Amino acid sequence: MSARDRILSRVREAVASRATLPHPGPFGAWRPDPVEESSVEGFVRLFRLAGGEAHLVDDEQEASEWMVRFADGFESITIGRGVPASLHPDLPVTEASAAALGVSFARGAVAESGSLLLDARDGRRSQLLAPVHVVILRADTVSGTVREALTSLRHDLPSAIAMHSGPSKSADIGQVMVRGVHGPGRVIALVVGASEG
Amino acid sequence: MRVALFATCLADQFFAEACADTVRLLRHLGAEVEFPAGQTCCGQPAYNVGHAREAKRMVRHTLGVFDEARYVVLPSGSCAGMLRRFYPELVPGDRSEALASKSYELSEFLVRVLGVESLGDGLAGTRVAYHHGCHALRELRVEHEPITLLRGAGAEVAPWSADRECCGFGGLFSTKLPEVSAAMADTKLDTLPPVDVVTSADGGCLMQLSGRSGHRGDDVRYRHLASLLWQGVGA
Amino acid sequence: MSRGPGAYRAEAARSLRDDPGVRDSVGSATRSFDTHRAKAYAEIDSERWRDWARDVKTHALTHLAEYLEQAETRLTERGVQVHWAETDRDALAVLDAVVGRHGIRTAVKAKSMVSEELGVNEHLERLGVRPIETDLGEYIIQLLGEPPSHIVGPAIHKSLDDCRVLFHERLGTPLDAPPDRLAGAARDALREAFLAADLGISGANFVAADTGTLALIENEGNIRLSTSLPRVHVAFVGIEKIVPHFEDLAGFLQLTARAATGQPIGNFVSLIQGPRTGDEIDGPEEVHVVFVDNGRTALLEDDEAWEALRCVRCGACLNICPVYRQTGGHAYGWTYSGPLGAIIAPGMLGLKQALPLPHASSLCGACADVCPVRIPIPDLLVYWRERAVEGGLAPLSEGLGAKMYAGLAERPGAFAAAAALMRHTPWKAVGRALPVLGGWMQERSAPEPSPKAFRRLWEEGIE
Repeated sequence: MSARDRILSRVREAVASRATLPHPGPFGAWRPDPVEESSVEGFVRLFRLAGGEAHLVDDEQEASEWMVRFADGFESITIGRGVPASLHPDLPVTEASAAALGVSFARGAVAESGSLLLDARDGRRSQLLAPVHVVILRADTVSGTVREALTSLRHDLPSAIAMHSGPSKSADIGQVMVRGVHGPGRVIALVVGASEG
Repeated sequence: MRVALFATCLADQFFAEACADTVRLLRHLGAEVEFPAGQTCCGQPAYNVGHAREAKRMVRHTLGVFDEARYVVLPSGSCAGMLRRFYPELVPGDRSEALASKSYELSEFLVRVLGVESLGDGLAGTRVAYHHGCHALRELRVEHEPITLLRGAGAEVAPWSADRECCGFGGLFSTKLPEVSAAMADTKLDTLPPVDVVTSADGGCLMQLSGRSGHRGDDVRYRHLASLLWQGVGA
Repeated sequence: MSRGPGAYRAEAARSLRDDPGVRDSVGSATRSFDTHRAKAYAEIDSERWRDWARDVKTHALTHLAEYLEQAETRLTERGVQVHWAETDRDALAVLDAVVGRHGIRTAVKAKSMVSEELGVNEHLERLGVRPIETDLGEYIIQLLGEPPSHIVGPAIHKSLDDCRVLFHERLGTPLDAPPDRLAGAARDALREAFLAADLGISGANFVAADTGTLALIENEGNIRLSTSLPRVHVAFVGIEKIVPHFEDLAGFLQLTARAATGQPIGNFVSLIQGPRTGDEIDGPEEVHVVFVDNGRTALLEDDEAWEALRCVRCGACLNICPVYRQTGGHAYGWTYSGPLGAIIAPGMLGLKQALPLPHASSLCGACADVCPVRIPIPDLLVYWRERAVEGGLAPLSEGLGAKMYAGLAERPGAFAAAAALMRHTPWKAVGRALPVLGGWMQERSAPEPSPKAFRRLWEEGIE
């Protein structure tokens, strides 16, 4: 009998005579005061509350113009594979660990938690190593709830999906909040296909 | 209305006047108070440290003492909590269910059963700090009742940031782990606002806090809630 | 280094006496966490969320074998190597094989309580591998050579000034450096480690059985880095971390974050299915998951205490515990401290080794009010105390005292007589030497009995 079999056998016997409970069903994220806002508005609000930045542009043309303006001043970039060519800033591309700016393309986002969904296939290093991180997000890929987001992801799961909900932070030093501890200290969501207000 | 008083072993010996004030208060509000002489201890101290067998003996004894009572009122949140929450678990059955359903801590009884909110004005001008004993707060969910009664008698109840934190008594915990228990009392006392008197529905908590105050040399007055409320009647 | 749970009273007393700064730091950190938690709970229907979470975990535990097998199948399909460890030695043996095969020299560690429990760092050092803690709090205590004091904030017992001194000595930062300068120094030091490490070690907050997903929550980004950059990733996962469905993570990720720090969700959540796939440009080539028992089945076998296995390691109980607040985690002498440690130690370490942790509580009940999965912590503390009495582990004098007291309580006349005797005995003079009274009088002035017992006042007639 292997360790696996012994463990599973003990587990089975331990619960054998115990009353079982059915799964209570899907998580409903129940709230006393449900918020009335669109998914994009919800995502932007929470993302900003957590210290993230968000810019809304109507279309890819405006996004491209924004990227050019924003990237001005950065010395080097690393770009995720899903970023459309029209949104590649005209800067030297370096290995992610040497880049000043990282640009990624989000798989989607979630309003309920203020989270960007990042797919490993886009490139993990470019999502993590540059101190400033721009994430391009299509407005029509924002899910209302985490549960909806997970449901939409599950048919096509890469090695890793990450949820980024703000800049890297820690309060481990004397309970004072600091940013940019390991992951990017500045994260900007560029939401394409929506406008502010 | 017939009300049986369960003085509790601790109050019987250390807060006798508060028990007497409980009687006075209940009579003033129109109750006929009985004191079943067979009462001793609810069994909580033994139960809390894991001596379930001994606790059950005391539970059975107590069930017999209060069989005939219509209401049972206790000047103790922790003992009332013991009767309501743990008696039906320790000695399941109709008798413990019956006792649980008719037992009340004093302030709870006044507000929830007798519908009293304002006793008088005998506490006008008095600044009070109220310590929420854990059993009253979390087992009985008695939270606003003592405050309502104190204010209703004219007292000013001072804000106290640590008012809902455990004082560190915990029965035998206070003597098994005295250093931590004292530190917990210190947390309460270090944050105490300036008041005329500190009060609580539990004698154990008052003993703990007053004992630590005494050791520290703090100049703080302590009175049991029952005595303060009787004073509130202002007769 | 730690003397074990048995030294709790002495360690707590020592900490209170010699390190008053610890009480201050821990007190303010835990209060801050708890305030944020309360606010985060108030935003949601917390009662309903907690009922749901309790029920999902209860369901999962009562079907644990099926779900563990399902998770293993999914993980294996994705190319993960799954191991099963009954003891800490078995778990560490997985590292022997990995280190040997790949010639590992440095390992970056994401914060993982189970890796503390298993003694991973010491074992890696024995294998000639340098373990580098990357969570800022863990990094701090690694520099200090201390164990974590809290399951979410390992260094909450250290003040800002303590950190300034430490970083000045070890990283050369100025003594008056502000927190972000200190964090920057740590980031620079650790960045090199991330880029060079051959091995990343993590735990997992949850494992979704139907997709074989490891879910990890953090705020710094070090878990993402530790599980993405090195060639090999080893995850140690307690068998109780299973949740049935991928979508269940929606509830647990959000509830755990709210309970732990008051956030809607952790800043970074990693949902890991396995090693990098053919169409990916980075990520680990090899992923191992070690399902760890190490006493968890013993806890599962206990008909009362198994409820403790619902724990999601949020730390909310530590943050609200008035006992834990006085000392932080070190006094408990084990990886898991506070109310959590007190209820799982007897099952995982054995009751004898775990005492007096179940007694390190005044039974105030605050923990049960906040636990996101509704573990009946005070009931379990009393349960373990009862088991200790049944097992002959309670002090003899206490047992005799309890029997004597019960005997008196059944005889009202004798009870009253004994009380009268107590009132008239000059016990205060020798009180300090007595077992129960001594403990009282060491820290508090002795209580004064009322001039007459109430039953006497009643007999005399109350006006």
